[in-house]
Amino acid sequence: MAIARAPHAAGEAPRDAAPAAGLNSVHLTLEALEKRYGNLPPSVSALSLQLRQGELLGLLGPSGCGKTTTLRMISGLVPVTAGRILVAGRDVTALPPYRRDMGVVFQAYALFPHMTVAENVAFGLEMRKVSRTEAKERVMRALGMVRLEALADRKPRELSGGQQQRVALARALVIEPSILLLDEPLSNLDAKLRDEMRNEIRDIQQRLGITAVFVTHDQVEAMAICDRIGVMRAGRLEQIATPLEMYERPTTPFVADFVGRMNHLRGTRLEGGGVRVGEAVLATAGTSPAGEALLLMVRPHRIQMTPAATAQPEAAGRNVQPGTVRRVTFVGDALHYEVAMGAETMLVESSTVSGPQSFAVGDAVFLAWSPDDTLTFPAGTEA
Amino acid sequence: MSAALLTRPRADWRGGTVLMALLAPILLVNVLTFLAPVINLAMLSFRGSGPGGSIQEGLTTATWTSLLTDSFYWEILLGTVWTSLLITFLTLLCSYPVALWVSRLGARWRNLMMVVCISPLLVSAVVRTYGWMILLGDQGFVPGVIRAMGMTPPRLLFNETGVIIGLTEILMPYMILSLLAGFGKLDRTLEDAAGTLGARPFTVFRRIVLPLSLPGLLLGCLLTFVLAVSSFITPKLLGGGRVVLLATEIYDQAIVTLNWPLASALSILVLVVFGAALAVYGQLSKLVD
Repeated sequence: MAIARAPHAAGEAPRDAAPAAGLNSVHLTLEALEKRYGNLPPSVSALSLQLRQGELLGLLGPSGCGKTTTLRMISGLVPVTAGRILVAGRDVTALPPYRRDMGVVFQAYALFPHMTVAENVAFGLEMRKVSRTEAKERVMRALGMVRLEALADRKPRELSGGQQQRVALARALVIEPSILLLDEPLSNLDAKLRDEMRNEIRDIQQRLGITAVFVTHDQVEAMAICDRIGVMRAGRLEQIATPLEMYERPTTPFVADFVGRMNHLRGTRLEGGGVRVGEAVLATAGTSPAGEALLLMVRPHRIQMTPAATAQPEAAGRNVQPGTVRRVTFVGDALHYEVAMGAETMLVESSTVSGPQSFAVGDAVFLAWSPDDTLTFPAGTEA
Repeated sequence: MSAALLTRPRADWRGGTVLMALLAPILLVNVLTFLAPVINLAMLSFRGSGPGGSIQEGLTTATWTSLLTDSFYWEILLGTVWTSLLITFLTLLCSYPVALWVSRLGARWRNLMMVVCISPLLVSAVVRTYGWMILLGDQGFVPGVIRAMGMTPPRLLFNETGVIIGLTEILMPYMILSLLAGFGKLDRTLEDAAGTLGARPFTVFRRIVLPLSLPGLLLGCLLTFVLAVSSFITPKLLGGGRVVLLATEIYDQAIVTLNWPLASALSILVLVVFGAALAVYGQLSKLVD
């Protein structure tokens, strides 16, 4: 998965570390933010979080979860119904967008079609009454940062999607905003360009040390570049954590499902710690009262598969279950197996490079995984 | 752009004949109902006019000579262009806020308000002109309101003021429609973007909304100007015969004086004015793009 650090980020402060209080000062604070439209249920409610100076936060969630509304509230484009927004301790909740000093990159870039690239980038400086000569220099520096100096005199429609995206980034950054807000900035790009651009955004964000909020529905994207991720669901912040923590220790089944594929098993806690799932008894890391109905979740690539012909893998404490391969799907860099395990069907993912061998439909296998990789949630919380 | 590139080879291959076949009927109609009458009109302007509206045999440039040397006609021409430009400007001024407001309504209200805006077109211009005569007349509503405010109302009917007021209102639906077509392309996120970059609402209007609405604005101005130049019922009725414009003069020459060659020559003059307006529109459109 995408939890591995991108190579370009090497040498920077380890972003997997939990946010250390006091290390960096708090730069953006959202306090019990709420947005309602008419009598509808709130689009965003009880949203509180704090961002340190230079931190990149990913707001992740399905469409309609309120992440874009949250971003628009921070930028001032949408008035808040309740709650406060503080930037460096100053309450900006009541300020109009043009007095908030925030750089926004819009999903569809929103470049001014009647202005050249240079004029687009210069617009914010012009509004700030920066002198013509200084503005020119800063525009070229900003365009240099996104490697587009050569296209300064083009109109936006003459540029490719990726180039337009970089102009939008330069335009948002040239004003040296106190906060950079990115609203699904990569969703209009093709897959290859998307990876390139997200790394570029991360590089620039790190280099300038700018506090940023990045809205996306793509968990891989969020994991790849964000210091912390906030998963939103139906207007509420479900969990906010580092990518690694989010992936390994999701606090709700919704988050677990959203940040990667999951196997779902239903069972009941037994006296003595095990969980009964159908015929099997599985070990889990956590504990809970006996008799409680549980939802168990295991990531497909954390399950090790071995042929049943060889001896049952002896691994102390590990969950080992027999199964039969029902379906094999080759997806390029991985093989996806559907394995019947008792009454359940388990998805198992194995790398095509490091996998010791591949299996065929009908093969009898053993599935083995660690209790640490078995997440447990009270049944009924996944709704 | 890319779509045009993709379809061009197909058009070359077989589409050419199909295209011609599809265009033929409209070409034919245009030649028969537009080009031929215009040529006929031009020919007519080179004939002599006799007493009692008779048209003499043989070609003569007498009509054109008198037209181009008589300052009376130059004054009518300049007066018409000036009045029409003024009407176009006032129509734009009255229509722009309405069109901008309508374009920002939600889909349902927008459609309703669009119908409201163009509904005056359902009533004949003659009827609406009579309406204005009632409103602007000495004992009418507008002078009454002015009197009620303790002022002496100026003459609003049977002079140029009346013509300008009436035509401005009558031409507004065309302007509003053209402007709305232009506003359709205006993306609200552009205004959001300008706002986050530090532009106050009026700056956003001046730097983003206005420039991007120029194509629709120019089209509306062209349309309004052309309609203002060619309208004769409203100037005739609201002007009370005292306001002489090209169109009313053509009407008088053709129907009252029965000098068809002169009416034809004046009509050609109107066409020249339209041609000039189109040329100006073309140049401005290029600038805007």
